[in-house]
Amino acid sequence: MDYLITLAILIGLSVALASSFNLIIGYAGLVSIAHPVFYAIGAYVSALLARDLGLPVPLAMLCGALAAAAASAAVALPSLRVSGDYLLIASIGFQLGVLEAIKNISVTGGAGGLTNIPAFLVQDGGRGAYAALVIAFAGLTVWLNWRIAHGPYGRALSAMRDDETAFAGLGRNAVAMKVAVFAFGSGIAGLAGALYAHYFRFVTPEQFEILQSAALLTMVVVGGVRTTWGPVLGAVLLQALPQAITFVDLPPAILGPLQGLLFTGLVLVFMVLRPQGLIAAGEAWHPAKKYSAKTYSAKTRGEAR
Amino acid sequence: MSARAAAPLSRRALVAGTLAMSLSLAGAARAEEPLRFGMAMPLSGGQATYGQDQVKAAEWAVAEINAKGGVAGRKLEMIVLDTRADPQSGIQAANRLVSVDKVPAFVSAWSAVVKAIAPVANDTRTVQLSVGANSAEIARLGDYTYTTFPLAAVDITAVANYAAKEMGKKRAAVLYINNETGTVAAQIYRDVFSKAGGQVVAYEAYDPRASDWTGPLLKVRAAQPDIVHIQGLVADTPQVIAQMRQLGLTMPVSSYSAVYNPKLIEQLGKASEGVIATSLAPGAADDPAVAAYLARWKKEIGREPNGLPYTQYLYDAPYLVAAVYSGLIDKKLPLTGENFRKEMLAIRTFDLPLTGKLTINDDHTVNKTVYLMEVKNGAWVKKAVVE
Repeated sequence: MDYLITLAILIGLSVALASSFNLIIGYAGLVSIAHPVFYAIGAYVSALLARDLGLPVPLAMLCGALAAAAASAAVALPSLRVSGDYLLIASIGFQLGVLEAIKNISVTGGAGGLTNIPAFLVQDGGRGAYAALVIAFAGLTVWLNWRIAHGPYGRALSAMRDDETAFAGLGRNAVAMKVAVFAFGSGIAGLAGALYAHYFRFVTPEQFEILQSAALLTMVVVGGVRTTWGPVLGAVLLQALPQAITFVDLPPAILGPLQGLLFTGLVLVFMVLRPQGLIAAGEAWHPAKKYSAKTYSAKTRGEAR
Repeated sequence: MSARAAAPLSRRALVAGTLAMSLSLAGAARAEEPLRFGMAMPLSGGQATYGQDQVKAAEWAVAEINAKGGVAGRKLEMIVLDTRADPQSGIQAANRLVSVDKVPAFVSAWSAVVKAIAPVANDTRTVQLSVGANSAEIARLGDYTYTTFPLAAVDITAVANYAAKEMGKKRAAVLYINNETGTVAAQIYRDVFSKAGGQVVAYEAYDPRASDWTGPLLKVRAAQPDIVHIQGLVADTPQVIAQMRQLGLTMPVSSYSAVYNPKLIEQLGKASEGVIATSLAPGAADDPAVAAYLARWKKEIGREPNGLPYTQYLYDAPYLVAAVYSGLIDKKLPLTGENFRKEMLAIRTFDLPLTGKLTINDDHTVNKTVYLMEVKNGAWVKKAVVE
């Protein structure tokens, strides 16, 4: 049972990460792959505040999320003013830099990782309660992303992504919007990191490196970028599949390479057979039903094809 | 071969055994489920070449124990899971072993993985046996994490003392990889060497992803040491030594157990002459059992194992587990993690086939003989033995 609960927690965290990442690279079209570093900031800030300063865990978690959001805004502001590609470079640089700092500072436990992180909820409420918390958080993230992407704000986002000049011409502030979306997505990642840290009680810088970026990107791309359920499906699939494989009784000599091939294999297969991902995004922005007449969305879709 | 794949056949054998025993009025209750234990090792990813060889060694041991009649008439079964040497995958593997397979004990390795798993082991009162990780912190991870492998302090202390006292070196340079393995061990070397009367004249870290070490090596050259201790990983240390020789640094080089590997000589050729490494297990020349084991590798796999001493420790792990199980069954105690831990500490000293005597100390450490090895004429030769 503990096994399934832990798996559910990991899937929940991945769903939140993939979903918020989708908001940044998908809906807002901001090219950044540094999502894991905000996950790391949330985890480390929350863990250190709770462990060394004795802050109550929920408060520490909130601080972790805020720290991640603040850090992301600090990265985004200068780079977004220049142009889109600079964000990619700046964010990768930020990711490498922060992880390097974590590895070399003694308070973060250095390269060996941070141990003795205080636990939260598990003693009082049990693991099931924690899993419920994480799943509720993941559900809330998906819902918020859906609301943002398919509401009026989403229409503005979509316009900004498709033609920034025209968007600015309408008198809208593109930079403010980009920074806000980036900070919101990163804040979610930070909270996910905090939730990870207080359950697993050990974090190490290596788990937030570029490889993690690649895994997240795979989740979003395989699931379907710019869709509500695509990243969710991608996250569930890529967390559950490697686990499911271990239940097929394979000899270790095959099991290892098979797991290694899984991610790259999936990406290759999808690139050729289904580049749009498991769930395909519509060609044009379409609102949630609440905001529009059905005819509007049907008509635009028809025209786009 | 997975221990599980052989299960249908063994069950039939067990049924036959049960029948035979009940006929002879012996206790039929004996032939129950196999005795399970877990093994969480990297089978994929960058460390897989080592993980897979280590798992193979453990599989051989399990097969041998079962061929000799198992443990108190019951078969030993090893459940192998992949950790990719990654903490998060390690936690998942451990959770799976503890809550699905319900093992009272499991084997793991790689320092970051062992540390990540420790809370799982403590919470569920399941014994984690770290076999091969050497971070000093492993001794302080709680009541349910034990190591059968000597932690960094053991061999680094030996090699630093040997340099200062036996080789008479006065000025050492320490070059280390900036990760868990490197930083902790480098500190130990510096402390021990200074205490033994030497002076550490250069203390340089390098990035784990580096492929060029000219900067730190030039600093080392400027400090004019008479011995250089390199604390790196299997993959980078040979390259560091190669660059060091190219830059004209000819002083002796020492390192630790990860470097004691045929690959070092293969990769470096002549430049490997005089490199000193440590081995924490007896070699083929010290023990006929090790010679036979090595011969089996060459015969069945066609090569030597990657990281021979580590595979020896892994080969011995199922024997230790079997000994504890045997004790529990003799005492008719339920096979829980708590009882496993108590029985293991009650037995305390184990005599293992490929690594010799092992005593588990109260502070979660073990002491072992350190063999100092040196490359001479293209082969590893034993230089000294430090008890």
